[in-house]
Amino acid sequence: MTHTLHRSGTKESLSGDYILLYMPAFGINSADSGPKLRKFLEITLRHNPVNIGDTRRGNKYSLDVQNILDNVKKDGTVVHAVFDNEKAAAAALKELKEADLGLSLVVSGIFDRVKEHCQKAGIHRHAVTYSLGIWGKTEKLPPEQSLDIVTMCGHGMISASLVDSLAEEVKAGRKKVEDAVREMARLCDCGIFNPVRAAKLLTALAGTK
Amino acid sequence: MKSKKERGEIAVMKIDPDVCIACEVCLPYCPMGAISMDDVAVIDQDECVDCGVCLKSGVCPVDCIIYEPALWPRALRADFSNPATEHKTTGLPGRGTEEVKTNEVTGRLKPGWLAMGIEFGRPVTGARFRDVDKVSRALAKLGVKFEPKNPVTFLMEDPSTGKIQPDVLNEKVLSAIIECVFPREKAPEVLKTLQKVTREIDTVCSVEMADLVEPDERVPMDKILADLGIFYRINGKTNTGLGRPKFKGGN
Repeated sequence: MTHTLHRSGTKESLSGDYILLYMPAFGINSADSGPKLRKFLEITLRHNPVNIGDTRRGNKYSLDVQNILDNVKKDGTVVHAVFDNEKAAAAALKELKEADLGLSLVVSGIFDRVKEHCQKAGIHRHAVTYSLGIWGKTEKLPPEQSLDIVTMCGHGMISASLVDSLAEEVKAGRKKVEDAVREMARLCDCGIFNPVRAAKLLTALAGTK
Repeated sequence: MKSKKERGEIAVMKIDPDVCIACEVCLPYCPMGAISMDDVAVIDQDECVDCGVCLKSGVCPVDCIIYEPALWPRALRADFSNPATEHKTTGLPGRGTEEVKTNEVTGRLKPGWLAMGIEFGRPVTGARFRDVDKVSRALAKLGVKFEPKNPVTFLMEDPSTGKIQPDVLNEKVLSAIIECVFPREKAPEVLKTLQKVTREIDTVCSVEMADLVEPDERVPMDKILADLGIFYRINGKTNTGLGRPKFKGGN
């Protein structure tokens, strides 16, 4: 499960892309962890995330938020909240540290910024995971502009051809960019797709068509 | 009565040709580009990874996309491609394990060791297990320890050789992840071997490496990667260490 890793993009674009992931260690602290996972979602919702989701249930573009909250599995799942700005992500991080719920919290984002906000919140980072990029037959990949969008669903549920097709629709004026982004976001069950960042990227991509 | 396999009916995702109205709406949704048009839409069963996106998207106006459980080894396509499918080996939805996300509690990655994940087929291309096999065998020769709960390790005949069982080698999946750990001093050898063997595969892989953060906030693998001139992204995952009970013997 490396689904929040390997998001490609420029530093400017990634500066609006922070994901908080919360999960129990199965078999160790997963029993009755549901209320803690729900509390994580409730706390993050106070900081206006642009997406939230439960890997086992769906995201806020496929289910309503109350449905996600009410159906967090009793003995654990993996839940997420996505922020389009560093300030909101940092505020959620600080509040989660103070709440001290006891499950594992992973922050995906620009390392230097995450490190600084961890220090401000009194958190000593336990471990980091680096993306060493894409290896192998990279000539099979679509253009970077498509990759920057599809890599926001780490499970690969959003195809490059759908991104292209939606960019064409936006360019032709047959679809609004926010509707195109919703169409992609609902396919990423975990709710780690960043629709605000995607809207900017898709608008730029449509401009090249 | 003949079995499904004997009748050649081993596919999971199908389009009912008697119902399809050839509207082409489903075509761009397939992550593998496996749906094309004949008189009606058809799925290339060899390229289809049974991820279920075509069905889950709900875009077919006449509901002609059908899901049928498949037989082994075809069945593992859905296990590795549809993140809603729970792997029996991990108890988790998705394709990998908890890896270091819960490490402050599990202690899977120990001081002085590094963890690596090599995710084949990600992004966009999908992968066949014959490519996974090439890399797992090369890494096994270096003595890396494969994560026992990982679904790819589960497909190895013998984790000490990294050999994937032959009946699955041609199966295509959206992605499959090799997860392993090794002592830090082995990192140059592991990374150089990986650079060499991934030139011989017919797909892409996204590579990750994890390390524990020292009490003074240093990350020891920074120097290893810098010395080898290996790129890493400015963004990635940080485990904040807030889980408990804390694993005894960690950092």
